[in-house]
Amino acid sequence: MRHFRTLLAHELRAAALAGGTWVSAALFLALMGAVHWFAVLDGAEAPQTATPLEATFQLFWIPLLCVLPLLTMRSFAEERRQGTLAALLTTPASPAAVVWAKFTAVWLTWLAFWLAFAAFPALVAQRLGTAGDFRLGDPIVLGGGLAFIAVSGLLHVGLGILCSCLTRSSALAALLTFVGLLAFTAAGGALEKLPIESWDWLGWLREPAAHLRTFSHMEDFTRGIVDARPFVLYASGMLLCLGLAVLTVEGQE
Amino acid sequence: MADAAPLPEAAVAAERLTKRYGSLTAVEDLTFSVAPGEIVGFLGPNGAGKSSTMRILAGTMAGTSGRAAIWGVSVALEPAEAKRHMAYMPENNPLPEDLKVEEYLTLRARLKDVPADRVAARVAKVMEDCDLARRAARQLIGQLSKGFRQRVGIADALLAEPKVVILDEPTIGLDPHQIVGIRDLIRSLRGKMAVLISSHILHEVEQVCDKVVIINRGRLVAQGRPADLRRELIPTANFTVVTRAGLADVTRAAVAAEPAALVEALGEADGWTRYRLALPAASPARETLAGALIAAGLPLREIAEERIGLEDIFIAATRRAPADLRRP
Repeated sequence: MRHFRTLLAHELRAAALAGGTWVSAALFLALMGAVHWFAVLDGAEAPQTATPLEATFQLFWIPLLCVLPLLTMRSFAEERRQGTLAALLTTPASPAAVVWAKFTAVWLTWLAFWLAFAAFPALVAQRLGTAGDFRLGDPIVLGGGLAFIAVSGLLHVGLGILCSCLTRSSALAALLTFVGLLAFTAAGGALEKLPIESWDWLGWLREPAAHLRTFSHMEDFTRGIVDARPFVLYASGMLLCLGLAVLTVEGQE
Repeated sequence: MADAAPLPEAAVAAERLTKRYGSLTAVEDLTFSVAPGEIVGFLGPNGAGKSSTMRILAGTMAGTSGRAAIWGVSVALEPAEAKRHMAYMPENNPLPEDLKVEEYLTLRARLKDVPADRVAARVAKVMEDCDLARRAARQLIGQLSKGFRQRVGIADALLAEPKVVILDEPTIGLDPHQIVGIRDLIRSLRGKMAVLISSHILHEVEQVCDKVVIINRGRLVAQGRPADLRRELIPTANFTVVTRAGLADVTRAAVAAEPAALVEALGEADGWTRYRLALPAASPARETLAGALIAAGLPLREIAEERIGLEDIFIAATRRAPADLRRP
């Protein structure tokens, strides 16, 4: 991992200069701006159980499915298509350093997008002339939501990186990531819907299903509840994805 | 880079290297070596297994069996250490399109463990050596011509002053001026680095290389100095003779000089006939043939020994039947 910092700096610079990053950022901010604005309007029309900010974070899956695959898809697929990955691996840099650098660069970019979103509540309050209104910009909801994005992003970005390793086509990598993220995000809810209680042979699924509820994790975070289990889930999922990605890259050498 | 460690016997060693893709055998039981400081041409027809062999040696592809070592370090067992001694320029020389030449070389220098305080100096040196400094340093690689892209690849290979440089078709796509430049550059590496170079331009290889390794269908068919291979693979010395004399007179005179001589008439124009005289390569008559023909009273207009180039050696070697293939 001696070359991690060199590679990370290169990846961050490449991301900052890539047109695709800026297009993704514009798409993300447009999406989240619209989502947040409608959440504010809904809140103004009738009393809601969630504040506009909470309602916005509950729709985190929209940019997750629409924008994150755009960030991860090129990381390996494009390099494999151009042959530059093989050239990179002729240096003493290890496949692990390459995978971790690309992962970290995309994860930081994803966080930067969400940090830019954090300006929205302030902008809305300024636009409405309600600066200081606690309901529009609760720092616990904002901080908790961003913490959830950071923690769950470990697994989400890791999955995208793994998918990008599997193919030379960026489009296919994006599609694989989309399906993977959709399956993972929906898995907890889908398992909840199953009549597990009445199927003895599926009893072992009860415990894991309880841990996979992504939306519950998000709600806990936005309420300021800190639970170690989501950290373990997302961090171990990330390690699994990146481990498989390293093996895939090594296998392609 | 200063290195107090003793020189290994071979800078590059391939021992019974084999690579199979399913049922297809790309490289079979291939053994050869490159000594430190030596420039070796790696030749073979298209599909002979040259690029596969080079990729195995460079550690970008695993062999099926056998051993590949760079500077005495196993490529399979200690890839990072082996790569530290070596630079590899693949055939299609893939480069990132969106980086400037200087930025790319700086990144590669850092990845190749060039000391931080020497990175700028090394980048400047290789850009100067490869004639990139004036015209291409600040250009995006994606905007460079093929020739300049090849130069960037070679500059990258030389960046960390490796002990071994593996170049797969470095002159492909270059114009004659650029080829001469690259040839001189490679020649300047003699004694400093071991260079393994594949090329289809045999004339270039002959001018640059100390030794050649020729493979065909993944197997070694010849290796050694061109002069030695010439003796081994082409056992005759051919002379072209132009004279008014008939075949019988020429044959008589040639056999008088060398009993094993063979004469063949090639054609006639304006009363002058062109003959090919084949003598054993080791025959002392090679040096006295002209005198012998004149002494025999043949009206002689021209006599010249046909030059046997690497092309002839290559063709002779790659035509060898499998039964003739010699294991080193």
